Amino acid sequence: MHSCAPPIDVLEERFEEYATVNGGLGHTLLEQIEADDGALAHALREYFESAHLDARTRFHSFVGIDLHPDGDGVAPVVTYPGSLPSTTRRGLFGEVLAGLLTESYEYIGAHNWNVPIFLFRYHDDAANYLFTLARDPTQTRQTIGRLGTDFIGLSLNDDGEVVRIISGEAKWRLTLTQAKVDDVMLGKKAKGSAVRSGKGVWRDLNKEPSPPSGARQLLELLREYDSDGFDSAILCLERALVVKDPAPIPKTDLIVFAGNGRAKREKGERLLPWEGVPDEYTAGNDLQIVEVVLQGGEDLIDTIYASLWENGEDA
Amino acid sequence: MPDLDPERKEIAEALRRQVASENELTASQARAFVRGLQTGWDVPTIQWGEAETREQYTDARRLLNAASILQSVDGRDSSEARLCYRRSGEILEWLSRAHDDLSTTVSLELLAAAAYQLGGSPAMASALLAQVDETKPGERLYAQFLRADFDGVILSVSDFWRANLVITDRAAQQRLIQEGGDDKVGWFVTVELIRVLGLISDSLRRGEEERLALATRKLAALEKLMIRTFSDEISLFLTLLHQVAVGFAEASIYAPIRLLSQLNEERSPRLERFARGQFRQGRGILWASQRQGLGRLLEKDSFALCTPTGSGKTLVANLALVKELMLRAEEDGPLALYLVPSRALASEVEAKLSSELSNDVIVTGLYGGTDWGVTDYWLDAEEPTVLIATVEKADALMRYLGPLLLRRLRLLIVDEAHQVVLEDNERTQDDFAEHSSRSLRLEAFVSKLLTRAPNIARVALTAVAGGAAGPVSRWIEGSENAEPVGSDYRSTRQIIGSFETNPGGAGRMLLEILNGKPLFVRGRDDPVYINLRTPPMPQLPAAMRNSVNRFNQLNVLWTALHLASGGRRILISLAQQPERTMGWYKDALQLVSWAEMPGFALPDDNDDRQRYEDARAACVDYCGEESYEVALLDHGIASNHGQMPQRIRRVMVDLIDRGICPVTVATATLTEGVNLPFDIIFVPSLMRRSFNAAEERQVENRISTAEFRNLAGRAGRPGAGSGLEGITLVPIPARPSTTARSTLRTQRRQIAAMEEDWRLLRQSLLAEELEQFDIDSPLALLLDGIAERARELLDIDGEDFLAWLEEVLPPDVSPNAGRASEDELARLADSIDELDGVLLSALEELQRVDDAGLEGAAAEEALAALWSKTFTVYAAAQEAWMGAAFIRRGQAVLEEIYPEREERSRLYQYGFTPHVGRRFEAVVPSILERLRDTEDYGTANDADRLTVFRELGELLEDDRGFGFRVRSTETDQAILANWENVLSWWMHAAGHEAPEPQALRSWQRFVSDNLEFRLGVGLGAVVARAWSDGVDGAIVVPSLDAWRATTGLPWFGFWARELLRWGTLDPFVAFALAEGLVGTREAGEQLRPEFNAWLEEQRQKIESDDLIDPQLFLEWKGSRAVRAERRVRRRTLNATLSGTDGRRGQYAVIPVVDDGIIHWFDAAGFALARSDEENSPFRGLIHRDDFQLRINRGGPIVRQTYSGSA
Repeated sequence: MHSCAPPIDVLEERFEEYATVNGGLGHTLLEQIEADDGALAHALREYFESAHLDARTRFHSFVGIDLHPDGDGVAPVVTYPGSLPSTTRRGLFGEVLAGLLTESYEYIGAHNWNVPIFLFRYHDDAANYLFTLARDPTQTRQTIGRLGTDFIGLSLNDDGEVVRIISGEAKWRLTLTQAKVDDVMLGKKAKGSAVRSGKGVWRDLNKEPSPPSGARQLLELLREYDSDGFDSAILCLERALVVKDPAPIPKTDLIVFAGNGRAKREKGERLLPWEGVPDEYTAGNDLQIVEVVLQGGEDLIDTIYASLWENGEDA
Repeated sequence: MPDLDPERKEIAEALRRQVASENELTASQARAFVRGLQTGWDVPTIQWGEAETREQYTDARRLLNAASILQSVDGRDSSEARLCYRRSGEILEWLSRAHDDLSTTVSLELLAAAAYQLGGSPAMASALLAQVDETKPGERLYAQFLRADFDGVILSVSDFWRANLVITDRAAQQRLIQEGGDDKVGWFVTVELIRVLGLISDSLRRGEEERLALATRKLAALEKLMIRTFSDEISLFLTLLHQVAVGFAEASIYAPIRLLSQLNEERSPRLERFARGQFRQGRGILWASQRQGLGRLLEKDSFALCTPTGSGKTLVANLALVKELMLRAEEDGPLALYLVPSRALASEVEAKLSSELSNDVIVTGLYGGTDWGVTDYWLDAEEPTVLIATVEKADALMRYLGPLLLRRLRLLIVDEAHQVVLEDNERTQDDFAEHSSRSLRLEAFVSKLLTRAPNIARVALTAVAGGAAGPVSRWIEGSENAEPVGSDYRSTRQIIGSFETNPGGAGRMLLEILNGKPLFVRGRDDPVYINLRTPPMPQLPAAMRNSVNRFNQLNVLWTALHLASGGRRILISLAQQPERTMGWYKDALQLVSWAEMPGFALPDDNDDRQRYEDARAACVDYCGEESYEVALLDHGIASNHGQMPQRIRRVMVDLIDRGICPVTVATATLTEGVNLPFDIIFVPSLMRRSFNAAEERQVENRISTAEFRNLAGRAGRPGAGSGLEGITLVPIPARPSTTARSTLRTQRRQIAAMEEDWRLLRQSLLAEELEQFDIDSPLALLLDGIAERARELLDIDGEDFLAWLEEVLPPDVSPNAGRASEDELARLADSIDELDGVLLSALEELQRVDDAGLEGAAAEEALAALWSKTFTVYAAAQEAWMGAAFIRRGQAVLEEIYPEREERSRLYQYGFTPHVGRRFEAVVPSILERLRDTEDYGTANDADRLTVFRELGELLEDDRGFGFRVRSTETDQAILANWENVLSWWMHAAGHEAPEPQALRSWQRFVSDNLEFRLGVGLGAVVARAWSDGVDGAIVVPSLDAWRATTGLPWFGFWARELLRWGTLDPFVAFALAEGLVGTREAGEQLRPEFNAWLEEQRQKIESDDLIDPQLFLEWKGSRAVRAERRVRRRTLNATLSGTDGRRGQYAVIPVVDDGIIHWFDAAGFALARSDEENSPFRGLIHRDDFQLRINRGGPIVRQTYSGSA
């Protein structure tokens, strides 16, 4: 399970925070004060290892079973997430970042958020292969259906019951521009058209079921790891997933957008709404947006990922 | 988290109660179901919105979650979880059948099939997936896996590896994950999943537990990885897939087979091959009911297995045979007796058993004409033997060879054992008096056998409903505490309803009962209905439409032929008078207005076409060119009824079974215990009418719920594409078909009566599902019937009755005793004679055990022991006086009524009830004399040969007791008067006259009742007596060698019954037909010269009897068989190692043929070796076989270790 506390002091030191709450919308802008000299990456390493530990263990167990008849059932292990392609790593970074921020900063409603375990659903774009049984790299980016939320967190009361769920999307773009953000949020424009497709994050959030897609998986993991410690939370999630017309668990939708600032970016510039809930968002939950403006973000990501388990030990 | 478990469970159970009650649908589920059906039938659907689809899908998902909670609390075997899975499967199935598009990543069919598997409904999973035409290779692969088509999986993965040879080396795994590409994880996971599924499938079918466990572990690891790293739906699918795989491993037939093998390790390789063969036939994964049955088999020797039709009970019976005959028997020639209710079922069982056991066991179906015949080599064989016989046949065999059989008998299997239960009605009592109650014969036979051989193993197979299972299991185990093993698992969905035939419009199906419970949609008064879209039947000519029954049946045919053109298989099941309906059908098919009817296409397959042609030729031979049978066959309609000659019945069954004829019209005899592939069964009449001549009144009996249930149980083809539902419909006209005012009222009344019949039947069907009730047993009903008649007719009651029963002789009660008279006193006398028959045969058999006298206290004890083995003692409805009456009458039979031991012995040998036997004895010398006088039968002409039969017949003609008996109808009386013509026609004598088509069945009835049966039985009794006198009572195995000398009879005596059975005067023709050398009598006659020529070469002097000597027939047949060249098939092929150093010595491999090379792969997709295809002896569908790569001293070779085609 993920158990590492976020390095809040370092974050406060390295980022300038602009937080607002307007009606149902919380907005937090985090500006990296200067490019990382290694200290930030170093401070984040432990958190990232903790976030990845579960997936890493499972990946290793899977890869580690050798089916070759001459083998003894044990295959040499390829390291995770180190061996993943860089695009994938950027996706994973976004997901961990969402958890890190949720556990570190105060969001709308001032709830106490807990991320017991990270789901990394980043391979679905290649899930077509499961049905075509043929590899075609040009086709892979056409995702099939919606992948589900990138991130889920829980707010538990003193009895351990789930009182609120936070889920949402984490996006990484090398450079943050209004056009790129709009592509993500509103969908791309068709060739030669000025109109956006509408197939963006807003639509996804509006269509998100309650409890959110991924709740079942989180539940499975809680059962697997700590069914005693999370017994009340498990019961709440089971109720939400089984009972017909259950009393809904309140929900906060989260959007984390991270990337490097564009060349002429001014301090405090926001690319996503902050003054009030935008018309595009109709789900009616509390909405929290976090914009993270980095300096040399790709280097930061690579440094962090290069450092994970660099001593080869899972601890 | 045990603290909260009760609460968690409650959440799941609440949902289960809400939306997944067994056999009960919520209103919206019923709507979803009906909509799915309607879409399948291509008729307009009920109103339905996208929100409803979404809601149902959400329910299905909730149920999956609930199932997972229930399993986490109660364990994997939670029955509540199973119900959740099953309902989830159903909902998903209905949505998919309505072609709903929820844009799910994983198709609804795959999710549904997985849920069905986990819900314990594998046949539904298969049937559903068979309907889907998967377009993507991955969907195809998962579908193959989910329907346990492991050969299919191997074929699919082989295709994959052929297309991806570059990733079949050992290092490929590492390479894939280390090299670049944003998509590499997705691709890597895909490749690994294919490895896993290939390895699981191959290991399952080979029974390789270690490799299976490794692959399953990898699948479990993949499932865990996917929960974290893939979307909800894909990870859910993987979870289900993993669970299904675990379920497969648990339900593999290898597990019970290996436990069974422990009884006799030497046989273990053979049993392994048996298990492998089951996988080959798609039956390697056991159904729940089979696992229960095998569990019981491992634990006990005797038990009753209670399961519905189509739940795979044959396998349990097979393994019981294996256990008792192959594993436990210590002496040579162990024997099992497999009792079946009908000759048709005997041949079905024989075919099934032969296909699986014939290499190790002699499987022989005894349903020929003679008590033993040319094929009875099993008699002195040392191999284990299974005899499949009807009770009648088994009884006859016991009379002939009792002690010989008993010495070898190890196992008794009673199929359809619930048939021992009877309904308490007039027909039942009449059957007793007429000595034709099959149930009584079954009870008596098994009880006698259990008394004499109490230590044999016993297995009873019974149906679920009707209350028989409990008593039958107590009876068969001989214990008050016995419980049947089994479940009411139905492999297909069963729908029962009515069908509105509509003059001038298309019909409407009203679906009223679903799996035994009323089906309705809440908030609507009407039952669920489906308006068919068949074109309306053109108005019939007045003569046809003026009979509402005729209209109704023609409308059913019209509908059936249209539905058949859509691929459905339909049975029209008639209560009686099939010839009338067949005549109606023939006439209708000739109507100009029916010319547009979808035509019957001859089968494309050459084999099938030949079968059809042969069947038609046989039909022309036995029924005539102008017969209804041939006319219907020309339209692709098969027919079948109890009076048909056996040969025709068998070819018809074959045409139905192979789906060559899509429509069948038949009486219930077709479906007694026999499985045939029907989707829809129409039952146009629920009443049987007969005429009681003595009282001059019409007797009406509604067909019993047991009969209807049996019929409905035959609908549905487990695993077949259209087999999701078996539908049984009672057609009732929506309104009168006549246009004549004068008949309108009559028709209205008739329709109202039909509706009432249906209402009453439906009511009792539903009532019986709910309650356990007392059942009646044959001996109790017989004793009760005798007591009641004695009270009513003779005013004898209580202790007086018992005293009376101790001394009364049937002829004292009525001078008409033993003459099948219908007056009440004669019925009473004949019922007593029936009881005496049971008692006398039991006493005689007991006496033969040690050939000692049986009297006084010993007799009483023996009778009490017999009584204690009867079904009656274990059935609920018996009274205390019955046992006393049974024992006291038995003592009277022994001491007062038939006191002479020798007479008893003769009467027993004849096989009639004793009073009838006494009367028969008077004609025995004349029959014997006539038989002795047939020495020149071999050279006699047709006329002289016919004279022999006629003269024999004349000896029986006038006695209704043991001789010819017909109904008192004018037609039947006329036939009796004219019976010599019927004989001439049936025996195919030169110059015979054939019946008109409408008279055919009554002629056939006379043949089967009187010539084949009564004359045959009479002749059989005399021949048996001759044999028994010849050996002077000693027990000698009959042999052809000794037959003539022992009996003192010419060969005609041996053939007489067989000739009556096949309808020929020439024993050679009967031989050729029986041995399957020819298909028609004409062809048999044409073959005769070949035998004669052969005989002339053999002998200088030919006696008349040589021409019909069965030993010579066999010798000729042997000489004729072309010596099949024994070509030893090579089973090995040299190979070169490619992906292994061979360190393990041997490897299980699968072939992947590509470009002239056979790549030998481990099933996980690793190339290990290769061979040139050119030199390969392995051809055909070799993906279904097992191969092993062996590193021998001479180099690597590949050996074929299992070939299903060998």
